[in-house]
Amino acid sequence: MIAFADVAIDPTGQPDPARAALLARIGPAGLTDAAAVIAGFDAITRVADGSGIPLEPPKAEASADWRASLGIDAYWTMKV
Amino acid sequence: MREELKDSVRKAWLALGKPGVWWSGADRLKIVREARAARSCALCRARKAALSPQAIAGAHDTVSDLSPSAIEAIHRIVSDPGRLSQAWYRRTTSAGLDDEAYVELLAVVSITTAVDTFDRACGVAQRALPAASAGTPSRRRPRGAKPGLGWMPMLAPEDVAPDDPPLYSSAGRIGGNVHRALSLVPEAMMQFWDMFETMYLPQDAMRDFGREYRAISHAQIEMLAARVAVRNQCVY
Repeated sequence: MIAFADVAIDPTGQPDPARAALLARIGPAGLTDAAAVIAGFDAITRVADGSGIPLEPPKAEASADWRASLGIDAYWTMKV
Repeated sequence: MREELKDSVRKAWLALGKPGVWWSGADRLKIVREARAARSCALCRARKAALSPQAIAGAHDTVSDLSPSAIEAIHRIVSDPGRLSQAWYRRTTSAGLDDEAYVELLAVVSITTAVDTFDRACGVAQRALPAASAGTPSRRRPRGAKPGLGWMPMLAPEDVAPDDPPLYSSAGRIGGNVHRALSLVPEAMMQFWDMFETMYLPQDAMRDFGREYRAISHAQIEMLAARVAVRNQCVY
């Protein structure tokens, strides 16, 4: 599923093998819903990053530890 | 495929050719074409690979006569969204792009991204552009929109006036920051969210762990969402 997500959002990638493998595991309805989630989040990440919205304070507080440990906070430093 | 998913994607796609609030139908389709062109733009590729996109000068590979500021906005939103900043936003909009026009452009680019990624993931051909409809943009700005949350003014649920479109009235939209992101152009916000909620989940289903609403589980949905967010380097 992760391999499918990675290749589906990469315009230079080749999604056919990952799609076929996932289809065999979860069937056509699951594949379609996986494709929809991937597509929706490929878009909404642009809405969020293109508008400058901050994390809501409760979310920021609740996620502080694991944001730091996973390196997500480093994303901020790349914004120029 | 779920009928509501098929219908919402088709509706969002067709709406791209209709007059918006700040752009004509023809101009909205120019934004769609430019968003697609950005995927193979040499300057965008070079900037994406650079330590700083500011270090690489040049001109985008364009397919439209949109203004340079609109083209810069479209190409960066498509190719390098994780490194967009308020400084970039101010530089881009001060060169001739109103906040309202930028927000509608952001919605059009995001809907284009969603539909093209969905078709690509499903293994079907990129769909043809919808027809452009005639008509004049209404250029109506919600009076209650206020600055302070993001880079541009946004409309909070408590500031929605009776004559504003009902942008928070469906599917448990509680007015979280991501709901407010496109709210300066309520029609654009509704077009995006009406599609997005069928792709993902409506707000009230998101935390209803006692029931599965899709053919994949809540856990699988959130794993996919997190993976795409990481790949796009999205903090939110």
